[in-house]
Amino acid sequence: MSIFAKAAHSIALGDEDAFSGPSRRRSRPGTSTSLQRVSFSFATEKGARLAIESADLHIEAGEFVCLVGPSGSGKSTILNLIAGLLAPTSGQVLENGKPIDGPGPARAMVFQDAALFPWLTLRDNVEYPLKLAGMSKGERRARGDELLRMVHLYRFADSFPHQLSGGMRQRGAIARALATDPAVLLMDEPFAALDAQTRELLQAEVERIFLETRKTVVFVTHNVREAVRLADRIVLMGTRPGRILRDVTIDLPRPRPLNDERVAWFAADVANEIRTEVDKIAKEEADDAWVAPGDRVRRDPRRNLGGGI
Amino acid sequence: MAAVREGTLTRAIATSVVRLLIGYSFSVVFGVLLGVALARSQKVKSTVGPLILGLSSVPSICWLPLAILWFGLSEWAIQTVIVLGALLPIAVATDGAVRQVPPQLVRAARTMGASGPRLLFSVVIPAAFPGILSGAKLGWTFALRSLMAGELLFVSGGLGQLLETGRDIGDTALVLAIIVTIVALGRASEWLLFGRLDREVGRRWGTADA
Repeated sequence: MSIFAKAAHSIALGDEDAFSGPSRRRSRPGTSTSLQRVSFSFATEKGARLAIESADLHIEAGEFVCLVGPSGSGKSTILNLIAGLLAPTSGQVLENGKPIDGPGPARAMVFQDAALFPWLTLRDNVEYPLKLAGMSKGERRARGDELLRMVHLYRFADSFPHQLSGGMRQRGAIARALATDPAVLLMDEPFAALDAQTRELLQAEVERIFLETRKTVVFVTHNVREAVRLADRIVLMGTRPGRILRDVTIDLPRPRPLNDERVAWFAADVANEIRTEVDKIAKEEADDAWVAPGDRVRRDPRRNLGGGI
Repeated sequence: MAAVREGTLTRAIATSVVRLLIGYSFSVVFGVLLGVALARSQKVKSTVGPLILGLSSVPSICWLPLAILWFGLSEWAIQTVIVLGALLPIAVATDGAVRQVPPQLVRAARTMGASGPRLLFSVVIPAAFPGILSGAKLGWTFALRSLMAGELLFVSGGLGQLLETGRDIGDTALVLAIIVTIVALGRASEWLLFGRLDREVGRRWGTADA
């Protein structure tokens, strides 16, 4: 039996008040997480590629941190390192001062495509981590119902994932991630595939859950406004190799409406910083066809718009 | 009609079906396990992988002489032929199905604390189930073919032997009746098992209108 299974077991048996009883809001508080001089490289056909170079990051317990940056800046890699799904090539990833040496239910993850199990109903999906933790059927049912109510999906408990909309699937995935009452919630671009309206709804939902549970949240996104709306702190990441550029504290009262001018102001500031990084990649990927933003007109002489008629 | 009246046909069907079920069940269980091992372990893949792909191209009837040499004219010989015919395609299909399981599902399960056999049986195999099912269907037809081939060749008391008897005594009606029976056996598997599983997969995955 792995130490994770044991940990899960002790969560289920030893720490009963975390799950059962009517006063369920007494959830496990968040833990602090830190990366110390973490580098991560992976093998490609052309040899090793450095995904993250010497990153230092400390996340306080109960803090909401957004990792923002262009593709290839190692945002998701950092999340996977904290989850324990990847091990750093050098450096250390710590949770409450102790090294993380593998995945476990104390650090739950929400993926971009929800990753609900298609063969299970929504209820069974949410109960799956509880089953792993060795919880009895009755308790599982009660906890599952509670979670589904929390994300307003109780009516759809017996639906299969394919019968739900993208937003509903994502809410289901959040419920599943919260099932074992994790200390850290890792969200990997959870709303990137959703339409704008649904995304706003879910942002409000995540903010509410965060304020209720006070878990540590690490949230990866491309969307600067989303980050400014949700985060206590934004960590800006750059590319080639992936590294941390800047750390911005968003000191605004919650809840934050998206149309608040201070949100817009912060977002514009952060977006400006990212643009240089985005440009850098766009130039590499698109070669000379890339036109810098600001100059919106394509000036390609081969694009002859009927001049020779 | 004499075969029906005397109960020969019924007995032959019973004998063949029992054989088929034994050999097929064994093939499914071990074929799936072998397939999972192929997909999940690089060591297994690089050692026995090419061998299995190669062997699966051998028509199952070709195993019969060897089986008879090893086991004599016995039940074991026929079972060997059935298993060699059905297990390999099931293993190859399972291998492919497991490789196509979205890695995200496995990662999600790992963050929830699943590992080892638990991960395998609660996530990997269910996620690969639609692919395993098509392998199992393929395995059924292979098992049925191998069984008939095996039974044709010696006194086995099954449908295959009755077919041979029909030829010996020039009884075309008997031969046709047995062919119809074999078709019915194929359909029965669809009706009793595979059709239901297919519908269930469609209902859950939303891949077909249930």
